[in-house]
Amino acid sequence: MIDLAGCRDFLITNQNADGGWGFHPDSPCAVEPTAWAVLALVSRPFGPLQVEACARASNWLLRAQRSDGSWPPFPGHPLGCWVTSVASGALLLQGGAESAVERGLRWVVNSWPAEGTLWWRLRQAVFPSRLARQDSALRGWNWTPGTASWVEPTAQTLIFIGTLPPTLLSAQAVKRRNLGEHMLLDRMCPDGGWNSGNPLIYGVAGVPRIGPTAWALLALRAHSHRPEIQASLAWLERAYGTIRGGASLAVAHRCLAAFGLRVPPLAPALEKLYAPNSFFQNVLTMAWVTLALSEEAARLAQCEGSASA
Amino acid sequence: MSFAQPNLMPSFRRPPSRVAIVRSSRYDLDLGALMLQALQEFNLPVKGMKVLLKPNFVEPDPEGVINTHPAVVGAARETFLRLGAASVLVAEGPGHERDTEAILETIRLRDFLGPLAKVFVDLNLDEVRATDLRTRASKLKQLYLPRTVLEADFIVSLPKLKSHHWVGATLSLKNMFGIVPGCCYGWPKNVLHWAGITPSILDINSTVRPDFAIVDGIIGMEGNGPIQGSPKASGVLIMGDDPVAVDATCARVMGLEPARIDYLAKAGVLLGHLDPEKIRHLGESEASVKTSFAVLPEFKKLVAGNDK
Repeated sequence: MIDLAGCRDFLITNQNADGGWGFHPDSPCAVEPTAWAVLALVSRPFGPLQVEACARASNWLLRAQRSDGSWPPFPGHPLGCWVTSVASGALLLQGGAESAVERGLRWVVNSWPAEGTLWWRLRQAVFPSRLARQDSALRGWNWTPGTASWVEPTAQTLIFIGTLPPTLLSAQAVKRRNLGEHMLLDRMCPDGGWNSGNPLIYGVAGVPRIGPTAWALLALRAHSHRPEIQASLAWLERAYGTIRGGASLAVAHRCLAAFGLRVPPLAPALEKLYAPNSFFQNVLTMAWVTLALSEEAARLAQCEGSASA
Repeated sequence: MSFAQPNLMPSFRRPPSRVAIVRSSRYDLDLGALMLQALQEFNLPVKGMKVLLKPNFVEPDPEGVINTHPAVVGAARETFLRLGAASVLVAEGPGHERDTEAILETIRLRDFLGPLAKVFVDLNLDEVRATDLRTRASKLKQLYLPRTVLEADFIVSLPKLKSHHWVGATLSLKNMFGIVPGCCYGWPKNVLHWAGITPSILDINSTVRPDFAIVDGIIGMEGNGPIQGSPKASGVLIMGDDPVAVDATCARVMGLEPARIDYLAKAGVLLGHLDPEKIRHLGESEASVKTSFAVLPEFKKLVAGNDK
């Protein structure tokens, strides 16, 4: 059965001996599943097993951080990448690692995608491409160094920046945040929603997808009044019933609920999706599901609290 | 890995390749029987081997136009098991969609393979090993590649017959982009685009050259492929022991000139045969199944007979 306690138990049981998580039970540790497992476990009720698991995971993350402040996808890989914002966010939420978070943030705000340089824009002006329409001056974040901005890494970095306390929110971070938000709005599909980051291909409207749309909306929550956001929310609401994967369902549920929209209870829908493949024992999926279930539980508790008050 | 043919060999030294074209107008026919009959002629050395099928699963698409049809994947798995393979895994690392399970469930792969947990591997999240590339067409030099791919004995590329808005056509060689793991390179695997699509195709296939290819052309995609094109009923499965020869045959069936597709022309130097004289055709002839695919204006120059 899929419930919050069971999901937390899955994560705690499948933590590797050195404190990290792999993408699957018994697989080598990687930064992304470890960071998401921490984000999923640092939630109330915060039992002793969670406390211990998160402390061990934080130590693992601190050991995995590179000297330039970034995180690679896994230890031994030579380059920092998009997982830096998730790892920094996990350590920020867990607490007690301010210096590591600050160094992670510094790497993030100084990390630029390859497109949008003066040379790039000049080339685009001289040899315009009919393939894709986008304003390359609006630069977000890439998956890996030396490549272009894409929706998901940009959204996840904006979410991390959105959690920073004022003491850490540098002027450069604010500047990058504004640029990243504009980049996301520029890459929205014409009728709302997002795909990886190509809203128009040869003039044909791109088809939005669940994951990028939900992450982009979560990153742009502060702009909920904008018509683009409302159109995208409407698309996600319409698409919600077609979701066939646990990871997509969890992030879509979190997103719609974060905007205050009514969503059906999560567990029964997850149960149906879990039955055929047990989510392939995917740690990242289980972490996102745990996070969605714990946020739902917190909302219910809050509602009950206000009803009884 | 052991390979039926060496990865890199000058075309003039490589023995002739074999390509079979099998007609099938629908997915609900007995594709397993058709495939078995065709594959028996190849006498493939798969007995006792770990076979890996690499389909092209891109996005959740219930219409069955974007992805390799699950009936073709199921038939291929059944066929290789009947040919004596010790195991047949299906493995893919979708290029845009992080929720691989959402794709598998949308296309109903389970209906054709049974329970997926022991049969399917998400290459985006597999364990990886740093692997030196065997050629230097791109600047990449090294890629992290999934253990499941590196440990397979016999790799079968199982793409869809599609046009492609960057390179003209996406077939069994381009399909190998899907072995590059998202957990290291993201969604999409943009590092391959920045390194150049043609050079990346060459480097990946020189390092992990598919031993066999089966192209799902029962319903292909024309126009603005590989995602936003239109369905094209071609009614064929095209398979062979040389991915370059299979792709060249597919291109000719689509009405394209293979030597004008940049990556295919270059692959014809060291990775396989482009020249029809070096390809032994089994089954139907190219001419009898030719069905011209619509192409974007940018790719008119690829159309056979168009010399403008």
